[in-house]
Amino acid sequence: MTTSIPPGAGADARSRTTPEPDPDPGTGTTRRGRPRLSDRARDEARLGWWLAGPAFVVMVAVTIYPILQAFYDSLFSYRLTAPDERAFNGGENYVVVLSDPVWWQAFAVTALITVVTVLVELVLGFLLALVMHRAIQRLRGVLRTAILVPYGIITVVSAFAWFYAFDISSGFVNHWFDWVPGVDPDLNWFAHQGTSLAVIMASEIWKTTPFISLLLLAGLSQVPGELEEAAEVDGATWAQRLQRVVLPNMKAAIMVAVLFRALDAFRIFDNVFIMTNGANGTTVLSLLAYRTSIGRLEIGLGSAISVLLFFCVIGICFIAIKLFKVDLASARGEG
Amino acid sequence: MRTLTTRMKVGWAVITVVVMVWALLPVVSIIATSFKLPSQLNLGTFWPKTWTTTNYEQIFVGSAKDLFLPALRNSIGISLIATFVAVVLATLAAYAIARLDFRGKRLILTTALGVSIFPVISIVTPLFNLWRSIGLYDTWLGLIIPYLSLTLPISIWTLAAFFRQIPWELEQAAQVDGATPWQAFRKAIVPLAAPGVFTTALIAFFIAWNDFVYGISLTSTSAARPVPAALAFFTGASQFEEPTGAISAAAVVVTVPVVILVLLFQRQIVSGLTQGAVKG
Amino acid sequence: MGRRTRHLAAVAAVAVALPLAACAAESGPPTLTWYINPDNGGQVEIAARCTQEADGRYRLATEVLPRDAASQREQLARRLAAKDSSIDIMSLDPPFIPELAEPGFLAPIPKDVAQKVTTDVVQGALDGATWKDELVAIPFWANTQLLWYRKSVAEAAGLDPAKEPVTWQQIMDAAKEQGKVLGVQGAKAESLTVWVNALVESAGGHVLENPEAPADELRLGLESDAGRAAAEIIGTIGREGLGGAGLPTADENATMTVFQRDSGSFMVNWPFVWSATNAAVEDGTLDASLVDDIGWALYPRVDADTESRPPYGGISLGIGAFSEHVDLALEAAQCIVTPENQAEYFATNGNPPASTKAYDDPAVRKAFPMADVIRESLEQAAPRPQTPYYNEVSTGLQETWHPPADVDPDTTPRRSTDFITAVLRGEALL
Repeated sequence: MTTSIPPGAGADARSRTTPEPDPDPGTGTTRRGRPRLSDRARDEARLGWWLAGPAFVVMVAVTIYPILQAFYDSLFSYRLTAPDERAFNGGENYVVVLSDPVWWQAFAVTALITVVTVLVELVLGFLLALVMHRAIQRLRGVLRTAILVPYGIITVVSAFAWFYAFDISSGFVNHWFDWVPGVDPDLNWFAHQGTSLAVIMASEIWKTTPFISLLLLAGLSQVPGELEEAAEVDGATWAQRLQRVVLPNMKAAIMVAVLFRALDAFRIFDNVFIMTNGANGTTVLSLLAYRTSIGRLEIGLGSAISVLLFFCVIGICFIAIKLFKVDLASARGEG
Repeated sequence: MRTLTTRMKVGWAVITVVVMVWALLPVVSIIATSFKLPSQLNLGTFWPKTWTTTNYEQIFVGSAKDLFLPALRNSIGISLIATFVAVVLATLAAYAIARLDFRGKRLILTTALGVSIFPVISIVTPLFNLWRSIGLYDTWLGLIIPYLSLTLPISIWTLAAFFRQIPWELEQAAQVDGATPWQAFRKAIVPLAAPGVFTTALIAFFIAWNDFVYGISLTSTSAARPVPAALAFFTGASQFEEPTGAISAAAVVVTVPVVILVLLFQRQIVSGLTQGAVKG
Repeated sequence: MGRRTRHLAAVAAVAVALPLAACAAESGPPTLTWYINPDNGGQVEIAARCTQEADGRYRLATEVLPRDAASQREQLARRLAAKDSSIDIMSLDPPFIPELAEPGFLAPIPKDVAQKVTTDVVQGALDGATWKDELVAIPFWANTQLLWYRKSVAEAAGLDPAKEPVTWQQIMDAAKEQGKVLGVQGAKAESLTVWVNALVESAGGHVLENPEAPADELRLGLESDAGRAAAEIIGTIGREGLGGAGLPTADENATMTVFQRDSGSFMVNWPFVWSATNAAVEDGTLDASLVDDIGWALYPRVDADTESRPPYGGISLGIGAFSEHVDLALEAAQCIVTPENQAEYFATNGNPPASTKAYDDPAVRKAFPMADVIRESLEQAAPRPQTPYYNEVSTGLQETWHPPADVDPDTTPRRSTDFITAVLRGEALL
C-alpha cells in the first residue's frame, strides 16, 4: 500500500517509502514538528484522508445509515406482512414501548446481567491476570493458551456447550454436582428465572473473562516494578501493595476494560437466544428487539426498540466518560 | 530465574490445573457429547457410553451434509474475505493515524470506537430491508459488508498501536546504508509491521467467525448461511427429535480451527489484544 | 422493403435467435425451488422423483428452512413480503398459512387442482389448508398427537385406553397414585400452544371466537368454562409435579425421554416417538421389552362424554405468489402429494399422510401399527386458531400459560385474554 503514497506528500520519513529517491534523508525525523507550510499540512491531511477514508466510509455507511433508517421506521405503524397499512404515528411506538413493563423487565434483566458479569469478570480476570503475570515462563504459555480457547470459541457454540451441560435431560452437571445443596437430578436449570440467568451469566463470564484478563494483564505490566519493590522493602503486606501501588497504577486499564465489557454485555443476545429464548423472564433488550422486528415483523415497534437500545448504549458511554472519567484516549491507543 | 520451593511448585501446579479445567471443561464436554449415540444423549453421563462417529457422519456425508458443508464453506470464505478487506483498509487507516498529522484523525478514531459499541441488533432490520432491495440479501457480499463494521474498528486500533511502536527511523538508516526506498521499506519496516498485521488478522477472523445475528438475519439459503446460523437448521431423525449430536459435532468442527490458531499464535494474539485496547 | 432486405432481416433474426435458443437449451428446464422443513431426507427424495417424472418440464430443487416452525414462518414471511420470486413451493406449518394467505403471498389454487388434491383427504388437513373458505395450500402430510401409555401403568390403574376413551382426570389420578410422571409439553414453545389449544377445543371451546376478524376485533374464548377447564388441567399437572421436574422445559423430545424411563406412564405426543423408540431399542440403549409395554389410543378427553379434539399439525404446500412458474409449481406440488409419495414418506420419515388412501399401504401398516388410530385422530383433530395474527396469539398464550405450575383457572384465562388483546391492538410488547 505504501507505493500509493504520492511523491512529495511531505518531506518526512514516510516519503522514504515511495520509489522516488529522497534528496535529503536527514529531515525525516521532524514529522511532528508543525511546519509553517500550510501546503504541507494540507497535503498531509489529504493523504491521511485518502488512506483512512475508505475505512471511515465503510464504518459510517454500515452503521449510520441503518440507524437513521431505523429511527425513520420507528415513527410508523408498520407491519411487514401488511405493507398497505403502514401509517405515520409520531412517537406512539415509543410511548407503547416505554410504558410497557415488558421493556422495563428486559431492561432490568439486561442491566443485571451487565453488572453481575462485569463485576465477576473483573475479579476473576484480575486473578487470572495476576496468575499469568507471576507465572514462570514455562507455565505462562500453557495458561495463556488455555484461557484463549474460550476467547476464540464461537459464542453460539459456547452457549450450546453450557446448555447441554446443564440441561435436565442431557446434562451431566446435575449428576456431578448433586453433593452441592440445592442441586439434584431433578433441578431444572432452565425452568426458573434465577437459575437460567445464572447459567446464561456463567457462560458469558466463561467466554469473555479471558478478554478482560488480558486487558488487565497489560495494565499490570504497566505498574512500575520499582514502586512495588520499594513498597515491599518498606514492609507493606501483599494486600497493602495491591491497594496502594498496583490498583492505582492500573486504574486506566481497569476502567477501559470495564467500559468495553459493559457495553458488550449490554448487547448480549446469542446465549439467551440459544438457551432460553427469553423464557422465565430472561428476555434481554436485544432479544426483545429481535423478536419484535424479526419475529413479529413489526418493523415500526421493533425499530423503536432498536433506537432505544442504541440510546442506552450511548448513555452508558456518556456516564462512563463523564462520571468515571474513563480515559478513552488510552483506549484509542493515543495514551 | 528464581528457584522454586516444592511448595510453590505444587501451588503453581494446582493453579494451572484449576485454570485449565475452568477454561477447557465446557469444550471437552461438547466434544464428549459429539461422540454420543443419538439415543444415549439423555443418560446424563459426561463421557459417551458407546463412542460413535455417527454425528460426524451425519454432518459430513449424511443427511445434514447439504446443510453443513455449504455453511462451512460460507463461514470460511466470508470470514477470510471480511478479514482480508478489514486488514487492508485498517492498515491504510492505521498507517495514516500513526504517522500523519491531520485533522479528522480523532474523528476517525472516535468513529471506530462508536461503531465497535454499536448494538448489532439495531441495524439488522434496516440492513435487511436495504439488502433485499439492492439484491445483497443472502449473498456473501451481503455479510462481508456488515462484518466489516465488526472487524474494522478493532483492526484500526490494534494496528495503530502497533504502528506507533515501529521505529520508522530504521527505514532511513537502511537507506543511508545504500538500500533503495522499496528495499528499505521491505527489509526494515515490513518485518516489524508484519506481526502486527498478522495478529490483527487473527483477531478480526475470530470476530467474523463468531457472528450470529447477521448470519441468521441476512441469509436464507445455503448460498451464504454461515455455520453458527446453520446450527439452528439441524434436525434429529425426525422433526421433533433434538439434533444435539449433530449440533455438537458441527460445533466441534468449527472450534478446531480456533483451537489450532490459539495453540500456534497465543503470544501474538495476547499482544495484539492488549495493545489494541490499552496501549502497552 | 425489398425482398433482399427482408431476407437479410430473416438471416439476422436467425442469427440472433440461434445463440439464444442454444442458451436456453443449455440452461435446461426451469428449476423450481421447494423450501422444505428439515426432515430425514424424505422431501429431497420426493423432489428427485418428481423431477424424474416431470421428464424435462421442470427441475425440483430443495432448500431447507430452520427447524422450529416459528423461525420457518419468520423467514418465509420476510422473503415473501419482499416479493421474492425464487420461492416456488413452500412446506408450510398449518397455523401460519392464514398470515401468508391474507396479504396474497400464496398463489391461488385453481378450482380443478383444488378438487383433485382434496379428495380422500382427512378433515383436519383440509381445515388447516383453508382460509376464508378457499383452499390456499395443498395438504401434504398431516400430524396428530395420540395418547401413548405404558400398558403396565394403565393396567394397574384399571384403565384400558385402547378400548375405553380415558379422560385427563383419569390419567392424572393414575400417575399420582403410582408416583409416575405424565408426558406433556410444558416448555415455553409452540408445543405449549398445541397443548392449550387441544384442551380448550376438547372442552368444547375455542381460543379465538372469530379468527378471521382484523387484529383489533379478535375475540378470545379463554374466559369460558372450556378455558378454565384447560387451565385447571395444566395448573394441576404443574403444581402437583405430575409432569416431573423437567415439565417447564419439556418439548416433544424431552417428553419422550421421560416416557421411556421407568417413571413413564401416559404421554401425549406425535407419532415420531414410535420410530424413535424403536431406533433406540435397535441401538441397544433401551430395553426391547419397553416397546411391548407401549400402547396407543386417541387423545384424552376433558369431559368423559365429549369426543376429544386432538392437536393437528403437519405440512401443507403453499405456492409462492411471486413465483415465475406458478403453473409448473402447481404441477410439481400435485406430484409431491400423490398418495404413493405420502405413504412412502410416512414409512421412511414417520410423518403421517394427509391422504386417507395412503394409510392402506402395506409398508405403512408394518412401520406404524397404529396407522388406523392416527387416521381416526386426524378426522377429529382441531387446528390451532387460523388467523393472520397467529404468531401474536400463540406467543401470547406461551407468555401467560407458562410455567404450568403458575396456571390458575381463576386468573390465567383472564390475564392471557387481556394480554393478547393488548398486543393485538399494538398497545403492548410481546
